[in-house]
Amino acid sequence: MIAFWVLAPVMVIAALGILFVRKAVHAALLLAVVMISLAMLYAALEAPFLFAVQIIVYTGAIMMLFLFVLMLVGVDASDSVVETIRGQRVLAVMVGGIFAVLLGVIVGQAGIGTAVGLGAANEGGNIEGLAEVLFSQYVLAFEATAALLITAALGAMVLAHRERLVPRETQADRAAARVRAYGEHGDHLGPLAAPGVYARHNAVDTPALLPDGSPAEQSVPTVISNRGTGRPSPSYRDVDRVVGQLQSRRDDQDPATDTVVEGSGSAARGEDA
Amino acid sequence: MTLSSSTLLTSAAEGGHHSVPVVEAMSPDGVFSLLWLVIALPLAGAVVLLVGGRLTDRWGHWLGTATVTGSFVLSVVMFVQLLGRDDAERQIGQHLWDWFAVGDFQVGMDLLYDPLSALFLLLITGVSALIHLYSVGYMEHDPRRRRFFGYLNLFVAAMLMLVLAADYVGVFLGWEGVGLASYLLIGFWQHKPSAAAAAKKAFVINRVGDIGMSLAIMLMFVTFGTTAFAGVSAAAGDATESTMTAIGLLLLLGACGKSAQVPLQAWLLDAMEGPTPVSALIHAATMVTAGVYLVTRSNFVFENAPVAQTAVVVVACVTLLWGAVIGCAKDDIKKVLAGSTMSQIGYMMLAAGLGPAGYAFAIFHLVTHGFFKANMFLGAGSVMHGTGDDVNMRHYGALRKAMPVTFLTFAMGYLAIIGFPGFSGFWSKDKIIEAAVAENYLVGAAALLGAGVTAFYMTRLMLMTFFTKERWEPEVHPHESPKVMTVPLVVLAALSVLGGVLLLGDWVTTWLTPVVGEVEHHELPVPVIVLTGIVVVVVALGVGLAVLLVGRREVPREAPQDVSFVTRAARSDLYGDAINDGLVVRPGGVLVRGLVATDARGVDGVVEGGAGLVGALSSVLRRTQNGYVRTYALSVLGGAVILVLAMVAVTW
Amino acid sequence: MNDEFTGPAIEWARLWPLFAVFGTALVGVAVEAFAPRSARCLIQSSVAGVGLAVALVGTVLVALELPERAGGAARGDVTAGGAVVVDGPTVFLWGLLVVVTVGGLLLFAERRVDAGLPVFAGQASLPPGSTAGPGGPGEPSYEDWEHTEVYPLLVFALGGMMLFCASGDLLTMFVALEILSLPLYLLCGLARRRRLLSQEAAMKYFLLGAFSSGFFVYGMALVYGYAGTLNLAGVAVAVRAGGGQEVLLLVGAAMVMVALLFKVGAVPFHSWTPDVYQGAPTAVTAYMAAATKIAAFGAILRFLYVGLGDARWDWAPLLWVVAILTMLGGVVLAVGQTEIKRLLAYSSIAHTGFLLTGVLGLQASGDLAEGQISSLQAVLFYLATYGVATVGIFAVTTLVRDPGGEAGSVARWTGLGRTSPLVAGAFAVFLLSLAGIPLTAGFVGKWSVFASAAGAGAWPVVAVAITSSIIAVYFYVRHIVTMFFADPPEDAPVVVVPSPLTSVTIAVALIVTVALGVVPGPLLDLAGHAGQFVR
Repeated sequence: MIAFWVLAPVMVIAALGILFVRKAVHAALLLAVVMISLAMLYAALEAPFLFAVQIIVYTGAIMMLFLFVLMLVGVDASDSVVETIRGQRVLAVMVGGIFAVLLGVIVGQAGIGTAVGLGAANEGGNIEGLAEVLFSQYVLAFEATAALLITAALGAMVLAHRERLVPRETQADRAAARVRAYGEHGDHLGPLAAPGVYARHNAVDTPALLPDGSPAEQSVPTVISNRGTGRPSPSYRDVDRVVGQLQSRRDDQDPATDTVVEGSGSAARGEDA
Repeated sequence: MTLSSSTLLTSAAEGGHHSVPVVEAMSPDGVFSLLWLVIALPLAGAVVLLVGGRLTDRWGHWLGTATVTGSFVLSVVMFVQLLGRDDAERQIGQHLWDWFAVGDFQVGMDLLYDPLSALFLLLITGVSALIHLYSVGYMEHDPRRRRFFGYLNLFVAAMLMLVLAADYVGVFLGWEGVGLASYLLIGFWQHKPSAAAAAKKAFVINRVGDIGMSLAIMLMFVTFGTTAFAGVSAAAGDATESTMTAIGLLLLLGACGKSAQVPLQAWLLDAMEGPTPVSALIHAATMVTAGVYLVTRSNFVFENAPVAQTAVVVVACVTLLWGAVIGCAKDDIKKVLAGSTMSQIGYMMLAAGLGPAGYAFAIFHLVTHGFFKANMFLGAGSVMHGTGDDVNMRHYGALRKAMPVTFLTFAMGYLAIIGFPGFSGFWSKDKIIEAAVAENYLVGAAALLGAGVTAFYMTRLMLMTFFTKERWEPEVHPHESPKVMTVPLVVLAALSVLGGVLLLGDWVTTWLTPVVGEVEHHELPVPVIVLTGIVVVVVALGVGLAVLLVGRREVPREAPQDVSFVTRAARSDLYGDAINDGLVVRPGGVLVRGLVATDARGVDGVVEGGAGLVGALSSVLRRTQNGYVRTYALSVLGGAVILVLAMVAVTW
Repeated sequence: MNDEFTGPAIEWARLWPLFAVFGTALVGVAVEAFAPRSARCLIQSSVAGVGLAVALVGTVLVALELPERAGGAARGDVTAGGAVVVDGPTVFLWGLLVVVTVGGLLLFAERRVDAGLPVFAGQASLPPGSTAGPGGPGEPSYEDWEHTEVYPLLVFALGGMMLFCASGDLLTMFVALEILSLPLYLLCGLARRRRLLSQEAAMKYFLLGAFSSGFFVYGMALVYGYAGTLNLAGVAVAVRAGGGQEVLLLVGAAMVMVALLFKVGAVPFHSWTPDVYQGAPTAVTAYMAAATKIAAFGAILRFLYVGLGDARWDWAPLLWVVAILTMLGGVVLAVGQTEIKRLLAYSSIAHTGFLLTGVLGLQASGDLAEGQISSLQAVLFYLATYGVATVGIFAVTTLVRDPGGEAGSVARWTGLGRTSPLVAGAFAVFLLSLAGIPLTAGFVGKWSVFASAAGAGAWPVVAVAITSSIIAVYFYVRHIVTMFFADPPEDAPVVVVPSPLTSVTIAVALIVTVALGVVPGPLLDLAGHAGQFVR
């Protein structure tokens, strides 16, 4: 009885907590609290098998699975708690409250006497007693549970698994395809040049310079270039800018540099403006 | 077969109260074994016509007419056979198959052919055959004529089922069937929104009646463990009076719906949106009399339920006046006739409510009314046919020259309905008034007054249509209808005149004795001949008033827009509006207005309001169905609370 | 202790149809794992078909061999340690369930209505809206794929239902409830068209179903607290003995009833019905609407009649309230509906109310007047008429199609009677049967449940029932009228010609509906012959 009065409030609070916390991961942890408390209650009620099962299966396996999933989704994920239906919350609290009070009053009023029969049930050992019930009276229900588990597995496959339409591409396939492309269209065979690395810029969005000084556009990841944030090779812009500075200070200029600037700098200027 | 009229009489003498005949049929032999064919023929016709599609377009209408004529021939043969039998052997039951049987409770697909059904069979098949024939001409230009005949055949089959069933469940089957056919036919010209609305209204109001009918059948089943006429009639005397009263009142509710009795009368006027042959067949001659049939057939119920009987009389009196007053107020020729139908059915119900004194006369009037009302409706159809489908009497006038056959036949019907001495209606209505006076002066006065008003509005109709000045549009050229239409008119007119022969030597009452019991002889305060004289005088007064008010004046083409009677009462003479003039005194006018308004709004309002309420409730409740799981879960939780509370509340 | 253990007597001779069904489902799962994709559909549907045929034959054989009990008032055996009761009502319901499932199977396998495509989603895990695989036109896509898992799922659901209506204790009943529910949740989410609606429906059904299952378990615990056993016969003994904390029994029973009433869609537990019926693939809706109701009413009858038969006056008022609410709620909500499947969903709610009216007709066999219809017989018969008409009517709704799927709106069906009189005619017959017009099966069904309830004195409920069936006639007939008496719209939906699978289903349902209306005797006798429940 003492165990009950200690554990019950903890369980109820934790269970309510599951409802009210915003972050899913907190809810999962609170659920663990409920389950562990429940296991302790089983132990106090002389049901060692259930105690072990509760810990191993629920707290051990199922809770861990929950947490894994939550980690995958992201621990920061939290629900929106804005209620859009007028009156829903008030009514829910009211009806829930009435139901709780009703059950509390009725069941409490029923006044169950001291529990009897535990000794008889556990005679010959708790696990044996459980097995006796499970394999005699409820053997069919027990077996039928198999159908439930198979359905669940099948359901998981149906809803979550995506079958491949075509066999997965292996590395060998990809290599062969690349060589074939080289042979047929003369596509570049080797790895692409890495983006340029320059002290003044985030390197990934800046094309590398080829040995001849021209920018290798392909070296910028397509994602970035598609988004339009790829920059032209910074050397030119920098040269451009330096040239501009130089021009403003002195009036002598290097015509060779100028032509290079004209070659690729117009887009950059437009972008900068 | 243990029953005979002699045992009836003795048991009546012993029992103190009137004995009620028990339905106990003998098995069919000879021609009677073909009884099922009477229903099967039109049913087969309906199936062929409705399923056959366009293949049957060319000859479908003739098939429809032929099946009904076949049924008519069979009915006549069986009737003749039945005539040759003893009273005691005039109930013939045919068991077709067990419809459903549960333990000892059986509902067989059983038919019962007795003097009552025999008369109905003749009336239904005979009038139907004529109306089918007439419709061949009337619907000639309608592209959906085949379908129309299919529905008509369906109706006839259902109506025959109604009057031949030997079991209330079977009656209910026919009851629903005629309801369906009527619904289909009222809305036949579906392109007219008014027709669709009328069909819907008839449907909704008839559902109310059906509630009564179904509950009555349920109650019978629970009380007697059977719903067969035989079983119920045998056990009816043993049930408590309150049970019988409940059954009787529920049956009355059903009868009110089908027979357009107050308070479920509102659909009948609107039902005139259907093609005229439909109005003639369904909404005048046959289906609307189903309520009278039901009350008469259930005589063993009503005889044991005096309160219900009184209710029938009250409803009947109200309706017969109500319908008559409406008849005075309408300009639409079909609506006048519809009002008069209501009123005449009121007479029948009145007679049926009087008990054994009246059952036979109710049926007698039903038969004669079937003849003359069908005659007049078809006549009205013929008039409309000749005037380009105009129904407004204000646009007629002096049609007697243009359509002599229609005029003459219509006149026969007219004389019959007002009760011109010698014509069929005279005999039947006179008998009812007689029985009513014997029962109760007030009831008798109502019936008498009704006769006067009937004479008034029918004369008004007659004058506005066939006499007075021509008021039709210049482009309308009234002409006589084709032979196929006038022949049925002539036949029906002859029957309207001669229908009274059924009363010769009290034939009809004796004939029906095995079904409804011996006619009680009642004491009249005045000699019969005097009463008849009074009736004739009252009728003459009505006619005279109409001639004075309508015949002698100019009938305006447009109905005067004289809405507020109170302020314009004085001026109404100038308008010469027959409606308002007809009952010159102000209270009369107010009464007419009130009744018409109640008819249009009050009763409709209740019924349609009920329908509207359901609709409104529906849209409110739909809001709870908002699609959110949490709301649904809340309702589950709320339900759990209710369940737990309901469970616990019982024991605490 | 261990050496003393003897297993319970399991009467295989009585139970084998049940095991045949579960076995079929397992074979189906194995086929799914090993058969090549192209052959799976054919193999799966044949396996399921054979399994169902075996189950049907088995049910008949078992029914013929049931031993008589209680002087012929009941027939059957309690087996598997009291967990399963194979008696007259059980085999009747089994037969009915298998027949309905055959109808469901035929609709599942239909592929001609949707331009040669199966009725289920190609790949359920794809996000809604994306139909095809990686490539463009000509590339392999999921379009013509099919989840052949639906066949074993269907059979699993059938197994759960058969166990559900046969279970002799609450624990088995609960397990069976879950076995029948889980496949249905899944099947609901697999519609090929309107994926989002379908997934939403599955989700709602699952969440609410789980919620109501919670009530079942809670109630079960309370009943155990009262009776000390979960066995229904044991509960009956405890009830008859009286004493004890009766309030535990009542509250427990109320909560068990929450779950059972949820399954049949009684007001106020009905709210899932329209959404789920609408969202689920129509083949599933047809199956679910008919079969779930049959199984769940079997369970309700068994729970109330066997377990709580002697506490009749305690639960009758509760059912009065629920029945009245359900009938009125169903018809009133249906009046305003403009969507066919939702309309039928509300009508099925109303039918739940009519069935509950029949359930109310319980009387002790001594009180039953001579020749009076027993409520069990009435409800069983009603279930048959309702089940058949429901499968038929939903099958018809699959045939009328717009470009994007089925033509759901009532307005789209306008004038169908002109363009395709056969389809509209079949639909009208089913509607008339659901409305309970004489000469259709529905009339006799309604008649029998009303009569049985009236016989037990539940007059107010019968009055409400008649009123609501008459309101119901209004919206059924209104639909018929729009089909037959209005002109079809310009862009009228296409009426497809289905493969024999659907045509046969509709035709058989149609014939049965009319036949049961004209000569219901044999089936009524059969339902009566089933006798009472065996305890």
